[in-house]
Amino acid sequence: MMNRMFAKFRNFTNLIPRWWIWYYRALLAGIILTSLAPVGPRAPLGAPQTVETVKPQVCVHTRLIDEVYEWKIQRSLKLIREMGADTIVEFFPWAYIEREKGHYDWASADVIARHARNQGIKIIARMGLVPAWARADLEEGFTTLNYLPEESFDDFATFVAAFAERYAGEIDQIIIWNEPNLSFEWGYRGVDPAGYARLLQAVYAPAHAANPNVLILAAPLAPTLEPQGSPNGLNDLLYLEALYQEGAADYFDVLAVHTYGFTEPPEAEPGADQLNFRRAELLHDIMQRYDNPQKPISITESGWNDSPRWTKAVRPALRIQYTINAFEYAEQNWDWLDKLCVWVFRYPAPTFSYPDYFTFVTSDFQLKPIYYAVQNYARGWETSENLWLPAPGD
Amino acid sequence: MAARPWRLAIISLIFALTVWIWALAGILFLIRWNAVERPGPPVRELFPYGEMRIGVDASNPPFAVATADDLFGLEIDLGHALAEEIGVPVRFINMGYDGLYDSIRADQVDMVISTLTMDPLRTNDVRYTQPYFDAGMVLVSPLNSPITAMSDLSGHTLSYEFGSDADSAARLWLRRIQAFETQPYELPEYALDAVRLGHADAALVDAPSARLYLRDHRNWLVQMNYVTSVPYAIALRINRWNTWERVSLALQALSDNGTLESILKKWL
Repeated sequence: MMNRMFAKFRNFTNLIPRWWIWYYRALLAGIILTSLAPVGPRAPLGAPQTVETVKPQVCVHTRLIDEVYEWKIQRSLKLIREMGADTIVEFFPWAYIEREKGHYDWASADVIARHARNQGIKIIARMGLVPAWARADLEEGFTTLNYLPEESFDDFATFVAAFAERYAGEIDQIIIWNEPNLSFEWGYRGVDPAGYARLLQAVYAPAHAANPNVLILAAPLAPTLEPQGSPNGLNDLLYLEALYQEGAADYFDVLAVHTYGFTEPPEAEPGADQLNFRRAELLHDIMQRYDNPQKPISITESGWNDSPRWTKAVRPALRIQYTINAFEYAEQNWDWLDKLCVWVFRYPAPTFSYPDYFTFVTSDFQLKPIYYAVQNYARGWETSENLWLPAPGD
Repeated sequence: MAARPWRLAIISLIFALTVWIWALAGILFLIRWNAVERPGPPVRELFPYGEMRIGVDASNPPFAVATADDLFGLEIDLGHALAEEIGVPVRFINMGYDGLYDSIRADQVDMVISTLTMDPLRTNDVRYTQPYFDAGMVLVSPLNSPITAMSDLSGHTLSYEFGSDADSAARLWLRRIQAFETQPYELPEYALDAVRLGHADAALVDAPSARLYLRDHRNWLVQMNYVTSVPYAIALRINRWNTWERVSLALQALSDNGTLESILKKWL
């Protein structure tokens, strides 16, 4: 039976003109050739490096976790080292690492930690983003990745402890959550200082048990003037005060702060109804009233934006000037400050909106003038004047 | 025995032909089916809250700006025009950029009109309409100048804003073509002034800056050629196909009847 079928097939193929065989061969060669792909660039570790800097406060926030290629992580960290920043703030999303309860995938975090260590850069880790299994969609609709129900606080604490243990001695500063005074960052729920205080309490002891040297940083609050009862969030000053009144002081070691200059220079006077760089002083004042005055503060996000359209942006030339002046102001006036981290070094892919204008380096690794300006400052190099021409007159 | 292979070949040919005929008939049927106009879902199904809820980050003049109790700008006008075209009330929800995409996912809004560029990384969650404006960089040179593209710049002078995207692009092009002189200025308006006053041969600026400048210098005759494309589009939730289709059709209608162009001209 089979022989007869093969014979029929042979007879059938005999009908095909002989030159067709070359067509099939070319097709086969084409398939093989197109399936060949060059090996991606490797990122071997070189000799361990150290950061050369004369301004140890200089720090940048990075977004390495979403980077696909290891060589780009390495290149980003190398550029940060060369710029003279010895610390980065990096996001380690819970949802990426513990996609299934109890199963940790540390691969991406390990790559970042390995290359940071090789470049001599310390990491402040920010924790957030809830895996699907820990946030269960509500009946009334989807929940976002920032929705952490109280029932999952212990799961989150277990994850933070596992992280603290794994990277003990390497990553000893952990920020718990981000800007919980915004409803968007609190899973589109009303903001809840008491709830966040309970989250800190849930995390603190397990993290310290896992790594006795770990420092827990209270979440930086978004600089905002939202009044009590606003659906969008709550004024950061009011929120911090409420957080202390809920007894959170015992459950964090460092206060993380977000302070942006927006359109004002860094020296501009702070005020309860003003959003500017020195708003950090108002947060520090609240901390002085409620907490151990020796407890340090780290600014984990700051800076100016130079989008051509955004109302809260300044021109690129002014951004450079304000950023350098901010570092100088902090160094001279804020002895309580540990690190001043500027948002953001680079995005893995452009956002195609004004956030791109916070970066120091484009997604395709073009260095912006602000990179060179901060490098000159951090490394104590001479700066050249006249970066641009005077306005042409009529 | 020799005739059998031929019979097999003929049967195969007839079979293939039959398949082709049916496939062709199917395609023609689908074309005809699509050509027949059928009433779409009612508006209350497209907008279940009885209104078109538009998310906007009103901090991008002239696209959207907030005052104490109002919103205005190109995108606000566009939202009103779309709602009128569809026949549904409109409500704008002002929020920060960080919350825009999540607000679509969490069904806080029906769509976002907020200088969003089509981002391939977001297409699992949202569907974009066709663009309503291109905010890419443009090369501005005097009318009849031989410089119409970046590759024409060799041996000429280019002005741009220091530290801007144009600055990055200029440095990139300096590595690609034979040298040209660069003139960085503190503001994009100064870069355009430089061309208008004859200090530079061309300026590289973003399209909104160029259009705003040219509104104030209507007598200056220039040519403006896009060097990069940054198309702004409306984003809707991926699973709301009918709403997306209706909004896309409305946007197309606004484009066809000149409303979109008049909104653009009003603000840029």
